[in-house]
Amino acid sequence: MAALAPRIHDAPDDLLAAIDYCYEQGWTDGLPVVPPAVDRVKAMLAADDRPPETAIAHHPATGLDLSLHAAAVNAVMAGCLPEYFPVLVAAFEAMDRPDFNFHGSTASTGGSAPLLVVSGPYADEIGMNADVNLFGPGNRANATIGRAVRLILRNVFQMLPGISDKSTQGNPGKYSFCIAERSRGNPWPPLCEAQGYAEGVSSVTAYAGGGFCNVENHGGNTPEQVLGSVADTMANYGCITLGQSVVILAPEHMRIVADAGWTREQAQDFLFRRAKRPIEGLKGVGKYREREYDSQHGGDAHALADAGFMHRGLKPDDILITMGGGDAGGHSCFIPSWSRGRGSIMQHAPIAVPANKRS
Amino acid sequence: MVLCTTPFEVTARNIARVLGLPDYPFLTVQHPIGSCTVPELKARAEIAYRQALPILLQP
Amino acid sequence: MQLYSPLSTTPKRKAFRAPALASLDGLRIGIIENGKLNAEEMLNEVAALFVARNGCVVRTLASKKNASAPAPGNTLLNVAQEVDFLITGLGD
Repeated sequence: MAALAPRIHDAPDDLLAAIDYCYEQGWTDGLPVVPPAVDRVKAMLAADDRPPETAIAHHPATGLDLSLHAAAVNAVMAGCLPEYFPVLVAAFEAMDRPDFNFHGSTASTGGSAPLLVVSGPYADEIGMNADVNLFGPGNRANATIGRAVRLILRNVFQMLPGISDKSTQGNPGKYSFCIAERSRGNPWPPLCEAQGYAEGVSSVTAYAGGGFCNVENHGGNTPEQVLGSVADTMANYGCITLGQSVVILAPEHMRIVADAGWTREQAQDFLFRRAKRPIEGLKGVGKYREREYDSQHGGDAHALADAGFMHRGLKPDDILITMGGGDAGGHSCFIPSWSRGRGSIMQHAPIAVPANKRS
Repeated sequence: MVLCTTPFEVTARNIARVLGLPDYPFLTVQHPIGSCTVPELKARAEIAYRQALPILLQP
Repeated sequence: MQLYSPLSTTPKRKAFRAPALASLDGLRIGIIENGKLNAEEMLNEVAALFVARNGCVVRTLASKKNASAPAPGNTLLNVAQEVDFLITGLGD
């Protein structure tokens, strides 16, 4: 069935009154939005070559589609500049894949927010932050791209807090959860290269993140010590599941790991081996499930999975690990998955820069 | 018949609205289900059964 | 100031409820459970009351692989051909 023409609202001309109008319509995340004036939306749409009615994501639960037009409206409201739009579009193209399951991760009592990790030169071109205060406020690109994701989930897909978003505790990432991978001083290949994209192509990885755990270690000076503290965090009883993980290593920690010659794969192997709990411990807290143990230790068991233990994830590849954050501070972080198993698998997509913007 | 627990009643009504059936009648029982004993499940089933009868039989 | 609506432009769906049943006696019940803890047990208990009190028969139990996704189209089609009414759950 053909999409309807986008509706236009007659709002007050006064800007502050127009901001209030957006609140009254229920369009905001609780913070004021930029009123989505017609000319601003058109400028946003110019950042994608395709027709505005092009559907880029579909919500199976409601049958609602996200068009480029609706994405542009919400991007304006979030405060995005047009050059951020390709990142947002790529994010939803990744989230649209069934294996990501954006409905489940958004509706769940588990309280996840889509974490976006942007990798490659486009992050620098649009001025994203990969450095100090990585997950914090202050950078327009990081803040508004992440915010646009939430506004789209809310406005387009009607994932409304308390109604269709039943998160028990919520998650601060539901306001905005978008970072750039740090390339400066990063000894490992960037994610976009590891993901197989051609040189010069940037990517966005979408991950249903269940929270944020800071991992502090100022005394460890070997990879085993630093990553040992990360692994322990990954395996805490509140987080340990068969789900995936995101680990962002602080530059201080990365220097220790890289100076010892460890590759990304070695770090993943180590974390997978060490992020585990004995099954008796899991039984003690009521979290042991035999079918989960069987799925980890059955015919497809990874060679590093120890009998008698539940590891976090099914294999080392379930752990996305890269570098980010400021130069100072022995503070890495771990983002647990919303999914307790394979209910949401992280997805990545290339960022398509429109022809008139390519250098 | 679609069964939900009380905290999800508002969720159920929202999805019914979006899917074009705003007045769709749901069966609603006490939350939670996941940690219920068998007797507790049976008590909830009785309530759901009684809610279901008029929905199934009346136009 | 003219503002674009941020909502989806997908047309509203038209949906219809199934007609009321004349009687429940001996009808066939289908169950679709969503994999949540005790979901299958809960739905079975409800169905058991229809079996005991109305002579219904439980014909089909289907499971959704993913609790938060709609049942695959062929699941519903298959079940609908074999039953007179369906019992399922929403949420936790």
